[in-house]
Amino acid sequence: MIRHTKNNRLVILLSGLLVVVACVNISLGSVAIPVQEIFNSIVDTPSKSSWHYIITNYRFPKAITAIIAGSGLAISGLLMQTLFRNPLAGPFVLGLSSGASLGVAILILGAGVISGIFSTFLLNPWSLVIASALGSFLVLLAVLAATLKVKDTMAILIIGLMFGSLTGALVAVLSYFSNAEQLQQYIFWSFGSLGNQTWQGISILSLCFVIGLVLSIFSAKSLNALLLGESYAKSMGLKIKKNMLVIIIATSILAGGITAFVGPIAFIGLAVPHLTRQFVKTSNHFVLIPAVALSGAILMLVCDTIAQLPGTVYTLPINAITSVVGAPVVIWLLVRKRKLIF
Amino acid sequence: MNFGSVFKCIATAFISSMVLICCDQTTTPAKLTPENSEIKYATGFTITQRENHSVISITASSSSSKKELTYALAGKDIVVENPEGYHAVIRTPLEKIVVTSTTHIPSLEALGVENSLVGFPNLNYISSKKTRSNISKGNIKELGSNQDINTEVLLELSPDAVVGFTLDGSNKSLKTIEKTGIPVLINADWRETHPLGKAEWIKFFGALYNKTKQADSIFNTIETSYNEAKKLVQNIKSKPTVLSGAMYKDIWYLPKGDSWAARFIEDANGEYLWRDSKGTGSIALNIESVLEKGQNADFWIAPGQFTSRAQLLEFNKVYSAFNAYKKNKMYTFTNKKGATGGVLYYELAPNRPDLVLKDMIHILHPSVLKEYQPYFFEILK
Amino acid sequence: MAGMAKHSIIRCQDLSIGYQNKKKVAVIASGIDFSITQGTLVSLVGSNGIGKSTLLKSLTAMLPTLSGSLQVDGIEIIDYSPLALATKLSVVLTQTPASKSLTVLELVSLGRQPHTNWMGSLSQNDKEIIYQALEDTDLADLKNKNCFELSDGQLQRVYIARALAQDTPLIVLDEPTTHLDLYHRASIVTLLKRLTQEKNKTILFSTHEIDLAIDISDKMLVMTPQKIIFDSPQNLIEQGTFNLLFPNDLVVFDKKTGRFSVT
Repeated sequence: MIRHTKNNRLVILLSGLLVVVACVNISLGSVAIPVQEIFNSIVDTPSKSSWHYIITNYRFPKAITAIIAGSGLAISGLLMQTLFRNPLAGPFVLGLSSGASLGVAILILGAGVISGIFSTFLLNPWSLVIASALGSFLVLLAVLAATLKVKDTMAILIIGLMFGSLTGALVAVLSYFSNAEQLQQYIFWSFGSLGNQTWQGISILSLCFVIGLVLSIFSAKSLNALLLGESYAKSMGLKIKKNMLVIIIATSILAGGITAFVGPIAFIGLAVPHLTRQFVKTSNHFVLIPAVALSGAILMLVCDTIAQLPGTVYTLPINAITSVVGAPVVIWLLVRKRKLIF
Repeated sequence: MNFGSVFKCIATAFISSMVLICCDQTTTPAKLTPENSEIKYATGFTITQRENHSVISITASSSSSKKELTYALAGKDIVVENPEGYHAVIRTPLEKIVVTSTTHIPSLEALGVENSLVGFPNLNYISSKKTRSNISKGNIKELGSNQDINTEVLLELSPDAVVGFTLDGSNKSLKTIEKTGIPVLINADWRETHPLGKAEWIKFFGALYNKTKQADSIFNTIETSYNEAKKLVQNIKSKPTVLSGAMYKDIWYLPKGDSWAARFIEDANGEYLWRDSKGTGSIALNIESVLEKGQNADFWIAPGQFTSRAQLLEFNKVYSAFNAYKKNKMYTFTNKKGATGGVLYYELAPNRPDLVLKDMIHILHPSVLKEYQPYFFEILK
Repeated sequence: MAGMAKHSIIRCQDLSIGYQNKKKVAVIASGIDFSITQGTLVSLVGSNGIGKSTLLKSLTAMLPTLSGSLQVDGIEIIDYSPLALATKLSVVLTQTPASKSLTVLELVSLGRQPHTNWMGSLSQNDKEIIYQALEDTDLADLKNKNCFELSDGQLQRVYIARALAQDTPLIVLDEPTTHLDLYHRASIVTLLKRLTQEKNKTILFSTHEIDLAIDISDKMLVMTPQKIIFDSPQNLIEQGTFNLLFPNDLVVFDKKTGRFSVT
């Protein structure tokens, strides 16, 4: 595809905006810290040690997590929308978040039942991450197995939805037999949480992101071909099954990995590709992927800044903010343009 | 490239990374031989004296399993050998503390160190007047909710120690705190089932403030008071039958036979109708089994969250079928609240089992302790 | 007649096509024998449901053949990797495009995919081929328009331009003239004729417009319920083949006028 310098400039602009938004995100929070302090912390001469701690141990890792989560979810949403040629597809259409919810529900709500068998495992600080990743992985396998025989991509989407209902029902049953404390814990997980990630966690998250990003870039050419549909793509030399698999793997690593660490964050994966397409006038995935990644990171940082309710001690769940901020924006854009450019 | 081989690759990568993560070894704690351990009833912690410092060992837990945590308590200038062997080294006496459960507040007040409290999640739960006055003065910062403690405010407070009560929930923000060098202690008093065991955790706080002697003496007073009250009714032949709990939606939750709440009934010489249920949590029953066993119970202690007889009937008419309802023998603690709605019982009862026992004796055997005014319970009107 | 034998671009021998899944085999047509030489405009005609789509899908490797030999440019079609086949054969299909947000230029450029590297970067040569394809289909002025802004006729030409950009010796089109008015039908088929004459491309297209097909095709593939006949339009008329197309005598083919009429 022929690339335009206009789009290159746009990507540079988005990168600049990302840096600005990241700085704003780090400077706002429950505790009022003067902007000066951020620079002091980098240079390592903070005026107050608690401020230094807050910036380096809480806000900075949280910003990085937000950037990775926002980019990763946005990219995986784009992949799913192109693969299924459906504007309503998101990173979780293949059951990744329902699997994660089921895994975590079994861990938190079903604790009494499994405790005997897995007690040392459960006490591991990584148990939530593993339960979530394992749940995503297994449900993904189930969805893929069920779709092996199916030719129609729309059917795959429906199968993914059905598995979502199934896991939802199982979680409901587990909830019914749980006590208030367990329920609260589960619900808090489902709110999503960008803060308090360990550096170890962030490195694994970064690894997932890099792998997913690389796979996505290598699939960009096939994604461009898939814009015309599978028949045309095949006639242009694309190995459909192999490429579909790579795209699905990239999505799973991105969305599954992110959900394992920060919980299920809705909306970003679905909406950011649409938002990006409004101002990036090309369908070339070599431009779309970086643009979507940057936009996703920016949107997530903005939502996180709002969720922190700067100045107050309370924080809102990130999940609520992404939908409350994002949905009206998408609606406004569509109404303004009067058509869906897809 | 076929699906099978790709799947094998992913599965191998996945499983190996899981194994690597699971083997995230924390340093093994130093083994302790309990000496000078004067903990009589509490099973969740022991305190051991070393040459220049003391060691608290706690059996902490998450919702499903237990872990052994050891803390070294040492004065400011003491050098502790093998600091990596402990979960944390805590400099005593503490000057700034953050606690996370209302049950911790009475211990602080009894030891006279309530002014060292600088932060608490969900300030509204606190009922004690003394601490509420500190709150109004702005000396105690709101930390959000227990499931999601505000990391920034906590870091800003820079307490000398944070006392959590479970390894779940606030785990994530507390882990971040620990990384910056603020020690996190787990107080597992809520797992004790013996009434005196829960109260004995005042010694935990005593050790943190170098007030061991004072803590011991406070506890001894409570212990004596409790045992004396227990003696008063030990030999009474007629045991009144007791029902407890109420329905939430359509499940009736009652304390199990070995639980903390059930112990009081037993020590007050009452016959708790579900005494034989094994375990220490609560049982979930349906209305039929409760009606069958408890319809004719003499007393109904702690009918769930209900605050009035009328409210009971609003939720379910079946409650009126119970004998204890008809004869007006229902007693609740839910109406004694602090200025912001915190229930006094939840805060103080674990620390003052002697008062709870006396309340119970006064209810079940009115002829004993005639002059006594119940502290927590009152008749449900 | 030219002395050199012309190159056979498609060659079928005793070919059997149809659908097969586990136990059931549905044979649509069998004993298919024909050979198309380079530079021929071939139209495929037959009544509805006779299997024209099946034949095209089999010829373009979208449907596996049941038995027999099918060679493209001298190599069995099953021996081709998708990429290798893409350099020999390009298609124009009937389905509505999945994504209308592409510009004309972007869509046509996609045709170069089999020839570009992993990034899809376009060399100078690639760009020239693309622009030439736009010129040939008379789309040069529209190149920056979005596809959703085009009429059906224009969109059809865009897809043909894309196939041209793919630069294959063989182009297969599935009913390229359906849904178009007479003028656009005529312009499309004229374009196809020009491509075979000027660029030596082989073009195979299916159509319902038998009259049109007879007028412009060099050769025709006629699918009757019994067999598939491959011959020049003149021979087919003379042999009365077109009367075998439809089941009863509702429509008859007039040899003299070379047209169908309703009785």
